[in-house]
Amino acid sequence: MSQAVTPRRVPDAFLLVLGLCLAMAAFMAVKAGTDGIARAKVPGSSIIYVPSGQYLKYATFGYSPLAADLVYLWAIQYYGTYEIQDRFAYLDHIFSIINELDPRYVDPYEVGSLIAAQEAKDIPLALKILDRGLEKNPDQWIFPFEAGHVAQMVRDYDRAGDYFKKAMVMPGAPDFVRRLYADSLYKTADYKSAWGIWSGIYNSASDERVKKIASNHLYQVKAAADIQVLKDAVAGFKDRCNRLPRSLDNLAAAGFLPSIPRDLDEKDYVYDPRTGDVKAATIPWKR
Amino acid sequence: MKVGAIARNTFKEAMRDRVLYLLFFFAAVGIVASRLLAVLTVGDRVKIIKDVGLASVSLFGVLMAILMGTGLVYKEIDKKTIFTLLSKPIHRAQFLLGKFLGLVLTLFIMTVLMSLIFLGLLYAHTFRVEWSMLLAIVFMLLEFCLITAVAILFSTFSTPILSSIFSLAFYLIGHLSWGLEILIRKMRPGLSRTLAQALYLFLPDLENFNFKTEVVHALPIPPKMFAGSAAYGVFYTLFILILAMLVFRKKDFI
Amino acid sequence: MEKNTAEFMNDAIRIEDLRKSFSLGFFLKKKEILKGISLSVKEGEIFGYLGPNGAGKTTTIKCILGLIFPDGGAIEIFGQPHLAHRVKNHVGFLPENPYFYDYLTAREFLNYYGELFLLPRGERIDKTDSLLDLVGLGKAADLQLRKFSRGMLQRIGLAQALINDPKLVILDEPLGGLDPLGRKEIRDIIIRFKEEGKTVFLSSHILQDIEMICDRVAIIVGGRIVNQGYLHELISEKIFFTEIILSGLEDGELEDLGEKYSVQGGKVFLRVLDESKVARILALVHERNARIHSLIPRTETLEDIFVDTVKHK
Repeated sequence: MSQAVTPRRVPDAFLLVLGLCLAMAAFMAVKAGTDGIARAKVPGSSIIYVPSGQYLKYATFGYSPLAADLVYLWAIQYYGTYEIQDRFAYLDHIFSIINELDPRYVDPYEVGSLIAAQEAKDIPLALKILDRGLEKNPDQWIFPFEAGHVAQMVRDYDRAGDYFKKAMVMPGAPDFVRRLYADSLYKTADYKSAWGIWSGIYNSASDERVKKIASNHLYQVKAAADIQVLKDAVAGFKDRCNRLPRSLDNLAAAGFLPSIPRDLDEKDYVYDPRTGDVKAATIPWKR
Repeated sequence: MKVGAIARNTFKEAMRDRVLYLLFFFAAVGIVASRLLAVLTVGDRVKIIKDVGLASVSLFGVLMAILMGTGLVYKEIDKKTIFTLLSKPIHRAQFLLGKFLGLVLTLFIMTVLMSLIFLGLLYAHTFRVEWSMLLAIVFMLLEFCLITAVAILFSTFSTPILSSIFSLAFYLIGHLSWGLEILIRKMRPGLSRTLAQALYLFLPDLENFNFKTEVVHALPIPPKMFAGSAAYGVFYTLFILILAMLVFRKKDFI
Repeated sequence: MEKNTAEFMNDAIRIEDLRKSFSLGFFLKKKEILKGISLSVKEGEIFGYLGPNGAGKTTTIKCILGLIFPDGGAIEIFGQPHLAHRVKNHVGFLPENPYFYDYLTAREFLNYYGELFLLPRGERIDKTDSLLDLVGLGKAADLQLRKFSRGMLQRIGLAQALINDPKLVILDEPLGGLDPLGRKEIRDIIIRFKEEGKTVFLSSHILQDIEMICDRVAIIVGGRIVNQGYLHELISEKIFFTEIILSGLEDGELEDLGEKYSVQGGKVFLRVLDESKVARILALVHERNARIHSLIPRTETLEDIFVDTVKHK
């Protein structure tokens, strides 16, 4: 009498399991194979056709910060793929989408501006991104701080100065931002303001190191200012007397200057009568 | 052919299923909406139609595959039509195979219809029949078949809602395979990395069927990729179907 | 279990010690449904399988058909393994509360099932037509099944069970949900099966129907067979009492003949325990020219046995 319990044909299940294992081995092997095939990648290129982050925000049903993360992660991979030649074409667009989706996500602003400045060599875009960051996050000193650095990259010390000035008064900004500001003032040849700031830093310095730095910069600023004055005087002397003065004292004697300024260390400036060049006696940071 | 009879019957049942028409309607709307979106975009309009159109076909194809797959087998079990069916001299495997083939046929028809609308829309813009789009769509169809098999697998032991969720999860995992790959590259060699690699090969990689980008940007596709994708699809689908057969063979219909 | 030594007849169905438990619920509590069922159905007879709801009738049937896999025991159909395709080719099944594909018409449905038996097209068409006529659905042949009433579904269910001209027909509650006319029609069809040499295995909890058409029965209670055998052997012909309705006799005359238990509209309802007294009443009626309206001997019914059996469980 046939048993109701035993399988009708013993190999039945066995065949199926065998087939299962074979199929699995097959697809895993094929997968390993196709992984090796290089496919022309324009990963996630469809994002380019999204009109703006605003629309995307609505489409993500309240998961926009998550969407921002995902797009950002993708963007990092995308911009890390150097084979894509024209990857900077939509740099502005992509990062504006990320920023729109999550305006308070700080990293994308920084990284986006970094890519723009360093890799795409697009300074205005870098600054645009950072400006946007500041606009949406008025409490983040990092944005004007970095913007200042970017401006410095193209020697726009005016702008750099503005940025540093903004940054230094923001909560959490480190001390040295002030110094950066002062330095950019110096670089724009606004010696008066620079002197003022550096004095302030010197006086309020909490440790010796900062004091030394401030003092060096003060030296530098004074030197620059003094040298400017001296050079003007030399030029005036040359105009009047058709020759260069033999020494700096001549300038005072000739009445071009009430007195000859000395550097911060009470040393004289070095004057080369042959070229009319005035230099400081010491290099500021070797004092 | 008993499997053929079941397949034909499944096809009839699917085609008369109202859900299908709803989905098809939305797919058509989606494709046409791409035309509207094209107005908003800056740049190449045709590209956005292609992108959104292909995305619509893909999305709705997957939805159809999941909903039909989970619905039909469950319905048979729930409504007990399966009792008379399985008491006849057919193997349970024949039943599953028949269901699968019927659904594949249905998906094929629906995909053809969606493609016609899509190509028609493109023609209205470019006055050319963009045959290259069909390349991407053919592989999408392969993906649909795999998803259908997965849906059938889950519906042999689960309710329609859970089956749908699991099938959707399978789809999502299948498209996020690259994430695991990136993770593995950053892992240090060792046991966990080997396990992760094994997992990576085992989990579905549905991006193998995704030629949308190449087709839209007219990029070349290495011929090995075609064979590879087709083989992958066939083997994985086979795997899922056999798994379903194994689950189904000793199931008690209370 | 009955063993026929005198005459070897093929058992259409033979079940030995069938067991099945289910694990139900979140904690997978084991529930024993079939606790060792043994029975045999002889070829060419109508076999009734009765029991209260939940006794295990449907489970037994599903085991026979391969819809459920038993934990233990053995099942044979016509001496063959019960799940073999060659066997299933000769079996037809009508489930309880049948439900079929909504969107197919009756004709398409029967055609579909015919395809599953690999019947050639011509044969399918002929069979479909004749079966639809047989079950009285000739007019609804092209109506979609979703428009069918319960009774109509039962009939089309019967039709699909016969599409392969089976030698064994298994019916699970075939008369449920039918009106009296429908039930008579189905009963007649089942009796015709017997005449055609088919074996019928039918389960029911409606005893009157079983009594009317079955040759042998088995009673299942709580997963066990508690009684089995030919109807005429199970039910004794013993007369409990006789009920007589008559008129035209005086009260006094019927005094000691039986219990008079009501008088209505000139008619007397009598319950007579003693058979001899019945004869005397008849003689009296004849003598007095009175009238007998009805005379019904009340014998043991299947219901009596059933209730008895269940009570003793």
